[in-house]
Amino acid sequence: MRNKIFILLSEWHSRHPLKMLCLIGILTICSLFLAARLEQSMGWSDLLPSDDPRTVEFDRVIRNFVSSSSVILVVQGKGQDIQEFAETLVPRIRELQDEEGKPYVQRINYKREVEFMRNNGLMMIKSDYLENISDIFQASNFPMLIRNLNNSLEKEYIGKEESLSTREKEDRAVNFLDGISFFLEALSKAVRDGRISEKLSREAVDRILVGEPYILSYDKQALIIDVVPNFTMVEMDRLVPGIGAIQKAVDITLTRFPGITAGLTGMPVIQHDEMIYTTKSLGYTSIIAIIAIFILLAFAFRMTVAPALAIANLVVGVIWAMGAAFLVVGNLNIMTSMTGVVLLGLGIDFSIHLISAFTEERCLGISIERSLLNSFTKCGNGIITGGFTTSAAFLTLSISSTRGMREMGIVMGCGLISVMIVTFLFLPSLLVLREKWLERKGQKQVSTITKSRDISLRPLGNFSSYLNLYPKRILVFVTLITTLLAYVGVKITFDQNYMNLEPKGLTSVELYDTILDKFDFSIDYSMFLADSLEESSFLAEKAKFLPSVAMVEDISLYIPSKEEQQKRINYVQEIIMEMKRSPPYGLKEPKDMESLVQELNRLKMNIMEMQDLAYLGGQDRVDAKCSEIVGYPDDPQEKNLFSSFFTDLKSDEAKGFQGLLDFERQFSPYFRDSVHKMGSGGTIGMTELPESILNRYSNIKRDRFLVTVYPIGDIWKDARFLNRFVDDLERVSHKATGMPPIFRALMKIMGKDGRNAVILTIFVVFILLWSDFRKVRYALIAMIPLATGLVWMVGIMYLLGMKLTVINIMVLPLILGIGIDDGVYVLHRWLMEGKRSLSQVFSSTGKAILLTSLTDMLAFGSLVFSIYRGFAGFGGAMFIGVATCFVTTVLILSPMLGIMSEHD
Amino acid sequence: MKKYSFLIIIIALFVLGSSSAYAQDLSGKEIIREVNEILNQESGFTTTRMVIQTSSGQLRTFEFDSWAKDRGEKTLIRYTEPSRTRGQSILMLNNADDIWMYFPRTKRVRKLATHAKRQKMQGSDFSYEDMGSGDTFITDFDASRLEDEVTGEEACYMVRLDRAPSSDSSYLKIVMWIRKSDFFPLVIEYFEDDYPDIPSKILLMEDIRIIQKIPTAMKMTMKNELDLTETLMELIQVDYSLELSDEMFTERALRK
Repeated sequence: MRNKIFILLSEWHSRHPLKMLCLIGILTICSLFLAARLEQSMGWSDLLPSDDPRTVEFDRVIRNFVSSSSVILVVQGKGQDIQEFAETLVPRIRELQDEEGKPYVQRINYKREVEFMRNNGLMMIKSDYLENISDIFQASNFPMLIRNLNNSLEKEYIGKEESLSTREKEDRAVNFLDGISFFLEALSKAVRDGRISEKLSREAVDRILVGEPYILSYDKQALIIDVVPNFTMVEMDRLVPGIGAIQKAVDITLTRFPGITAGLTGMPVIQHDEMIYTTKSLGYTSIIAIIAIFILLAFAFRMTVAPALAIANLVVGVIWAMGAAFLVVGNLNIMTSMTGVVLLGLGIDFSIHLISAFTEERCLGISIERSLLNSFTKCGNGIITGGFTTSAAFLTLSISSTRGMREMGIVMGCGLISVMIVTFLFLPSLLVLREKWLERKGQKQVSTITKSRDISLRPLGNFSSYLNLYPKRILVFVTLITTLLAYVGVKITFDQNYMNLEPKGLTSVELYDTILDKFDFSIDYSMFLADSLEESSFLAEKAKFLPSVAMVEDISLYIPSKEEQQKRINYVQEIIMEMKRSPPYGLKEPKDMESLVQELNRLKMNIMEMQDLAYLGGQDRVDAKCSEIVGYPDDPQEKNLFSSFFTDLKSDEAKGFQGLLDFERQFSPYFRDSVHKMGSGGTIGMTELPESILNRYSNIKRDRFLVTVYPIGDIWKDARFLNRFVDDLERVSHKATGMPPIFRALMKIMGKDGRNAVILTIFVVFILLWSDFRKVRYALIAMIPLATGLVWMVGIMYLLGMKLTVINIMVLPLILGIGIDDGVYVLHRWLMEGKRSLSQVFSSTGKAILLTSLTDMLAFGSLVFSIYRGFAGFGGAMFIGVATCFVTTVLILSPMLGIMSEHD
Repeated sequence: MKKYSFLIIIIALFVLGSSSAYAQDLSGKEIIREVNEILNQESGFTTTRMVIQTSSGQLRTFEFDSWAKDRGEKTLIRYTEPSRTRGQSILMLNNADDIWMYFPRTKRVRKLATHAKRQKMQGSDFSYEDMGSGDTFITDFDASRLEDEVTGEEACYMVRLDRAPSSDSSYLKIVMWIRKSDFFPLVIEYFEDDYPDIPSKILLMEDIRIIQKIPTAMKMTMKNELDLTETLMELIQVDYSLELSDEMFTERALRK
């Protein structure tokens, strides 16, 4: 059957080369049209099975909430400067529009919900905490206010606050101290100047009652701006220009603020960067690969035309492959995006074998048609068996449950078959046309040139003969090396740090660490989609107390349960009544300062105790904040807010009194008004919430609610923490989704898929080889170097300090398909040439498999230069795998075939 | 001599056999009682070095003296290092149900909330309950014996303690590996209500020395399996022979 096809093909190509080229040209244009419609998606959720609950839930979240795709802008610099930067940048980002005039941004969150807090602030405080701190809101005159502050601080020691997580307590303490700190600074200024501005007085009230308006880091040196775009992270066509536009606005604004640094991060930004860098990486690595392959082939064939034809054939083959990819899967994911480069390496092999054989034939002065037929007969079977075996190995990946692995298998399997078909349909016509052109130039010249070219690799043939002199010793040596590499290979570990796949020094990745460091939470958040307000509240409340959780955001922050609201209302009413009863002013004459000073001294002691407790408890942020107010215990002479205040007061008591009086006159009425406003909003329901809050936590129909859970640590650097966090989330609900659950599931499923794929590939390869060679013995012999090469590859990877990743784990099944070719070609040629022609087999086919291995290594090796480290790791592993398979083929098959020849 | 040797072997086999039979017969409750006897001496004094991890990830080392009386029912802890903690003291009474703190900088004593017992003691992975729990292994838990195991190279009893319905302990259950040779616990796993199937904390007792005839772990590591942190406590000095007055364990004495 095959021979008939070979005869037919050699006739067509020899007699109608131009017609063949036209036909291929038409088909290539069609493929190009299809390939151009391929879309690229870089989402990790796209790699999981489409019915995986995490994927289903993730899709639901993305469909319902644009806010789940938010872009995080991190601004760093001095406190006041970063706030000014934010105020300048935010309006610019709001104005950004796409080409159709549609705004890129839906909303920007960079300040807390200050207005809402002003109207409902007291109802936002948990009843347990409100019970402890209600004193603070009950009086506005300075002596009573400070006394109430002290009472509340001392009550803290005996209060019941089991409803607060440790993190909440620490944050609350820091915010509280922040307000005190601002108030004391204002107090000092009033005493020093003998008066104070109304603005500062009001700000002091706001800082005590509402807190810091901006989303600032604990050290106030970083600010977060949450940009909610009008596109989701799956809409790559809008995401790429959208992120680009935001980045441009940031860059322009930065030019006006020299001391500030700012950058974008978050999952959409990472996806944008992945898209940009992988495209860039694959672009230039492909060019590197093509140039390197061309140089290698030109050197090997000692001419430039043959390599140029091989590469032309390859380019057409890859276009067909991409067209086929569109037909079978429709779009490329992060794994299948490497198909082009992989096919460059693998597809060139077919051309090399065909050109090698054809050139050898022509070198002997045989006619074009006969040379073509002989070439097909000599290496066509090897090409078909090798091509189908490799493709079958890839296609076995289609049993994988992960979409990433499955699609990679299908795309590469179909792609390789496409390139193989192109090699039989396109390359021979090119070779024929070239030969005819050379013949037209003059028979004598051609013959001289061709006969001078002996392109076989005699040293390899000689080396094989040398190995054959000591076959048993060589096999023992190989066994020893294999045992050693197997011993170290099993120690190879899996690197689950997804960030290690990203380009080095990528701003969006580095900012993950900055946020973790400055804000003490990770933006690798997970999400739950709740179907009701009650479910949202239930999930948030459960998640908040998980040890691996830093904070939880959901709508129940703003709409507590009815029972809880009732409890709070009771406290709020009491606060307002007490406030009405308390005198608005406590400072009337200078002697009134005594009680104020007494209370301030008491406050100082309370904060000192808080500081001591924080130091013993390892709460660095609280300790640092206390130190700003009361100084470091190790250096009691150091200047602090209290010491400044008392020094200023002592230096001019009359002026100080005047300043305090002025301050209290402005502070007190505004404080009373604010407390009254904060407590008079009544119960809160959905209708009372502003759009900005509703849109953040609920969908447009207001029937789905988003609960966002932020981990306390870096989920990538410690696998134990990732497992802890995801286990904790799944303990709350199996609806947990987001990058952490998806990535962990992906690692688990891919590990399982990889193992199954390897087993099935071995089986399929064996069946194919058995049917090809028609003898189990030959099938097994062809597979021995492959298995050994695989062991060597893993062992060498370990010795070079490489780790397995979610991307390079694909190498294991892939190398089974690729590495088998070497053994297949050698065995075929050995059987065809006669069993005593080992030196000839390795001189000729040995050279071809050396060349194909080198071209594979160059193609895969070019990926090592990829900025995207995931691809670089994949390329490196493939480079090693192809090399070890070649070496083991030569080292094992030479002595084995030698022994078999003698036995036969 | 040969005759005597034979006799000695017979006696030894009998003794070993009977002790093994005794060991086989011991119930979980009896084993825990033995453990409690060792861990809760009538009174004791230790100087301890403790290393904690702060919220910003730094390691901080403290040294403190502690005195315990009435089998751990009363405990007084006084910090000695670093200098800024010197003199800070904690008094725990009624098996840590009542906790007071003394701050030398302000010379004031504060009572901590009752629920503090369940919380981490000063940033460590030990809770106040772990530090001053007295006889709670017996009073607050029902012990049952599990199948013996070998931990390291030590043959151990394995005992499970389930929280009694009346107890307010934060632990749902506790599993102990207790060295057969002296009833000293080598490993203790603590389980909380929210995580009934995985230990929240694991206490490893190491460097066990005999001090005044009492086996004492000079090194204790509490591994927090939920927070993925650990706290190391090393005993620098131990004395079980001190006579301690009740006066030491009062709010007034705390200020001294």
